[in-house]
Amino acid sequence: MKTLNEVLMTRRTFLKATGAVGAAIALSGGMQKDLLTQAENVANAAPEEKLIPTFCAMCGPSSGCGNMAKVVGGKFVGIESFPECPTNNGFNCPKAHAAPQWVYSPERLKYPMKRVGEKGEGKFQRITWDEAITLIANKLKEQKAKYGPESLGILSPARRSYSDYLYRFLMTHGSPNYGHSGICALQRMFAMYYTVGAFPSADYANADLIIIWGAQPVYSGSAKGGVGRIIAAKQRGAKFIVIKPSLESDGAVTDATWVPVRPGTDAALALAMLNVVINEKLYDAAFVEQWCYGFDQLKAHVQQYTPEWAEKITGVTTTQIKEVARLYATTPKATIDSSNGPEHARAASDTFRAMGALMAITGHLDKRGTNVWGAGSKMPAPRSVHMMDKYTQEWVDKLVGYEFPPAFQPFVEGTSSSLYRLFDSVLTGQKYPIKAIIAPGSQAIASTRGTKRILEALKKLEFFVILDVARTSDMAYADVVIPISTMYETDHPFETSGAWIMARNKVVEPLGETKSDYEFWLDLGTKMGYGADWWNGDIKKHMDWRMEPLGMTYEELRTKYPKGRTYETNPPTYEQYATRFAVKSTRIDKGPYLPQGKVALYNTLFEKAGLTPMPVWRELPEGPTATPELLDKYPLLLSDYHTSRTYNAAWLRHVPYLREIEPYPFLHIHPDTAKARRISDGDWVIVEGIHGNMKVKAMYYPGIRPDTVMVLHGWWQGCQELGMPDYPIADGGANTNNMYTTDPNKMFDPVVTGMTSQTLVQVKKA
Amino acid sequence: MAKQYGFYVEADKCVECHACAVACKAVNNVELGVHWRRVHTVWGGQFPKVTCDSISFSCMHCGSPACAAVCPTGAVKKRAEDGIVTVDQTKCIGCHACAIACPFGVPQYGKNGAMQKCNLCLDRLTADQEPACAWTCPAGAIHAGTLEDLTKLAQQKTAKQLVGSTQPSVFISK
Repeated sequence: MKTLNEVLMTRRTFLKATGAVGAAIALSGGMQKDLLTQAENVANAAPEEKLIPTFCAMCGPSSGCGNMAKVVGGKFVGIESFPECPTNNGFNCPKAHAAPQWVYSPERLKYPMKRVGEKGEGKFQRITWDEAITLIANKLKEQKAKYGPESLGILSPARRSYSDYLYRFLMTHGSPNYGHSGICALQRMFAMYYTVGAFPSADYANADLIIIWGAQPVYSGSAKGGVGRIIAAKQRGAKFIVIKPSLESDGAVTDATWVPVRPGTDAALALAMLNVVINEKLYDAAFVEQWCYGFDQLKAHVQQYTPEWAEKITGVTTTQIKEVARLYATTPKATIDSSNGPEHARAASDTFRAMGALMAITGHLDKRGTNVWGAGSKMPAPRSVHMMDKYTQEWVDKLVGYEFPPAFQPFVEGTSSSLYRLFDSVLTGQKYPIKAIIAPGSQAIASTRGTKRILEALKKLEFFVILDVARTSDMAYADVVIPISTMYETDHPFETSGAWIMARNKVVEPLGETKSDYEFWLDLGTKMGYGADWWNGDIKKHMDWRMEPLGMTYEELRTKYPKGRTYETNPPTYEQYATRFAVKSTRIDKGPYLPQGKVALYNTLFEKAGLTPMPVWRELPEGPTATPELLDKYPLLLSDYHTSRTYNAAWLRHVPYLREIEPYPFLHIHPDTAKARRISDGDWVIVEGIHGNMKVKAMYYPGIRPDTVMVLHGWWQGCQELGMPDYPIADGGANTNNMYTTDPNKMFDPVVTGMTSQTLVQVKKA
Repeated sequence: MAKQYGFYVEADKCVECHACAVACKAVNNVELGVHWRRVHTVWGGQFPKVTCDSISFSCMHCGSPACAAVCPTGAVKKRAEDGIVTVDQTKCIGCHACAIACPFGVPQYGKNGAMQKCNLCLDRLTADQEPACAWTCPAGAIHAGTLEDLTKLAQQKTAKQLVGSTQPSVFISK
């Protein structure tokens, strides 16, 4: 730790150093005027000031944080604390504070538009909402008759409160082709469901040892409790271990032991930990005997995965692998918080299967302070719009390309294809070509691998519709652009968080001719002739229908419980193995996830489906041990960060208060690695790769492996108010998705279609 | 001693999320390129045993503010009633003397050339509301109040008041 004087001295130096950045930031007249208008409003219009309880939704996909939206003279100007909201207990992150700039951004889409120029040219003509809905409905009806309903694909970037509406539309239309990103949440869920029966969460409140493994609990909704849980555990004296390629603030603030694993190699580490735990007999023999299936096979299987073997692949020393395995196994209250990091790898599913096996055999499942399933609450679930009960084998067989193997469809959210495979079918015609894609909040060219290939597909695709709040990277290819209201401009839907439910309140009138995602699907469903299943476009009737299980109308929820209704939480229950291991699956056959009613250390369902019955190691597409012959030319391993403190995937770079915090695509590079290349802190650098290149800004980052460089993904958008331009979407830009392989045999995890984000590069001064 | 307001920043809780910095700008309508509050990062150690500390700083509302002492026009003043250091932008001539005098690099200059900085959300304090940085912090790491109250809070840990010739009104824990 530096002395306080050093901190303050550093601060002065820092201020001087960043003066240049500040000076380079040009203020646009528009923004200045906007600020003045706000200031004038505050000065003159005290009686018109209102505070309206509502919630943010600028990140996702879990529930939005509560805030009191401040409206002055009919304009949304800022937020105040909403302490009664249990999601965030009155705290808010940078995004919520920057919300007015997002709502009133010059990048806002305010009116529906249709394309009038060539695809990619970006020429549009304003049309009305009704014209847009009619145009889309006519095209979909025409294509349905000509190519069949399955020619439509709808993209889902992540789980959202509107995701089930996409599923419902597909069901009423007749297409199974829901395109999921393949890089978020479902990958780890699938592996965990088929290993331990469900995804158990980390019990931060009671653990003595907390392992944060490829998760970013500070960045992923910092105000939602992630930060609070970490700080509280630290104050209690819990010990932290972080397993990730770079040290981030969760590890830094908790004085954690850092396990600097190479990107994409978490499976090798987990397998070696199993090897140590089993060979050193650190497992819970009674639990293994009673509740695990296939221990002897697993024991024999992991003999090949020694810590020495894993050291070469992961870059983590044999000593540290053993220490972490021993500490986890021998600490009774130990828990693992894992998330997106390990999902972006060819061995994604194996990582989580091995992690599930580790939790199980060490007795760290569903006990206080371990990984637990939770007990839920007495709140009745609002009615779902999903039509899960209509799935058939024929429906599954019709999927254009799978996210999960056909024998395991539908998984918990419904049938799905990997989003990338929907686009690929446009080019290959396999297994049939998708002809129309509707993309609500997705931006595949900036958030899914294979930028150049997705661009090709967008040029060829017959009909492309985007729905978003602001301009997107793929908008120039859209035939129809649907402008979506922000959550401050709509009064639905309700928001839930654990045992709490609240109606959304409209804060300001919608800008231009925008509507919510929910209204779009009701309108389109009705226009298509599916009105009986879409409440004939009546959003009020629809919201009341959803609220029926709670015994009140949507307006009653709003008026009787203006700050939300809280139901009773069930007391914690532990060791619910008999029921949890018997849970029925969502597959067509409805068989259990765990056919033996035990943890599947050896997975007979996978074996039957031709998949590996036990977790295995699968090499990176390109990497130090995968392709050592490439190291001379490309000596560094590149990967990317899934999330950040200020942005959400490929969104929000245009919001100036956020952009000031993270102004450039910063390549985290170890100072030694940079200096060896004569790269100074802050230099623009070229990242030369096997499949593409990027121009990004070097940031000296002492907390990263010297053989690895990492950058946040999703960079393309400029910021008008700060005079910052867009970056190219492919080569020469800062889009990491352009850097990775698109070889279908190397880019996916073969079980869950997790997409790799690792490749080899060289870095040079630009 | 007259009342003196200040901050207590628990650096051992800061997760570098920047909520305080953006909340400060949003609530005070701070123009782009100008920062009343910043979050700083300090790296230590050698790979793989690396440390990283972060801390949020704004104006320290010093007991003996150098900025006010050198201000030739009296634009920068220390309020007798609460010790908050304020700027009257109409009196500021933009000479930057305060920026040179301030040991902490606090004074900022926007488009109009006049000095601007944290005023401890004076309007909010007057209305009995917490400053924006304090209420929004997801880690609960920032506290604002009188030195008397902050001393009590700081004593729960080994937090100390910053020492300096200008007597900064800020406590820090680590």
